Amino acid sequence: MQSQDNLRIAILSAFAIGLHVVERLIPSPVPWLRFGFANIVILLSLILYGFRVAVMITLIRVLVGSLLVGTFLGPGFLLSFSGGLVSTTAMYACLRVFRAAISAFGLSLIGAFFHNLTQLGVAYALFIRRLDAVLYLAPAILFLGIITGSINGVATLAIIKRLRES
Amino acid sequence: MKFINLFRDTRPLDWLVLILVTTVSVASLFVARATSAKASDLVTVEVKGKIVYRLSLSKDTEVDVKGPLGITHVVIKDRRVRVTQSPCPEKICVRQGWISRGAIVCVPNRVVVTVGTEIADRSVDAITG
Repeated sequence: MQSQDNLRIAILSAFAIGLHVVERLIPSPVPWLRFGFANIVILLSLILYGFRVAVMITLIRVLVGSLLVGTFLGPGFLLSFSGGLVSTTAMYACLRVFRAAISAFGLSLIGAFFHNLTQLGVAYALFIRRLDAVLYLAPAILFLGIITGSINGVATLAIIKRLRES
Repeated sequence: MKFINLFRDTRPLDWLVLILVTTVSVASLFVARATSAKASDLVTVEVKGKIVYRLSLSKDTEVDVKGPLGITHVVIKDRRVRVTQSPCPEKICVRQGWISRGAIVCVPNRVVVTVGTEIADRSVDAITG
């Protein structure tokens, strides 16, 4: 079981890191837009394999992703780290509490929302210290999170459906 | 792939979540509107929470500010402000383009440019709370 989990963590982390790096090549019209495709992988592993696997993939994605992108240990890394961890935990908590009453779509929205909220909070607490400036950025970032969260949620639903069929 | 079929896989709580996060986002928009100060000509450039420049929006100028990563170049032109160069990896501040109100925030280089916030000199200390 343990070694099987480790194999899953390795393969799924590779997927998450790949998506995380490749999504940056997509040109976006808005500066704060991050698709967060890696969350599809996190969400899948959370639903299929549980919290431990999902958290491990989150941590590996944040660590290796930042090394590849070049933000390791910078402010961007701290934002990515805290956002990823809180987002995965929030999705797990909702899955645990609501179980079958919520699908990957709602969980993805929760994940995106908490990811953004955490990043805004950490940016304020550690780096910005200007509440008006952070509040000014909040609406745009939260709205973009709803859009990307919906896209990732639908994608996850589609993948789960495919997996169940096969 | 029958796209519509996926909607059958969603649950009522999904839509409740969608409504909730949308409500919070809309609320944040109103809170942001309410807290942003009345329009003024004041442009402040802060590094690490300390005001390094107090400029006028009506006077075209260019300034360099030094952050932890290097020089951020701020331009004021035609009553608008933008960051043209920054040493940060993501360049979110540069890509934000021209603004005539609100703020440009560069987290990696710890630079905050605000337009229209008429507050007392904050370089003394941070206001907590």
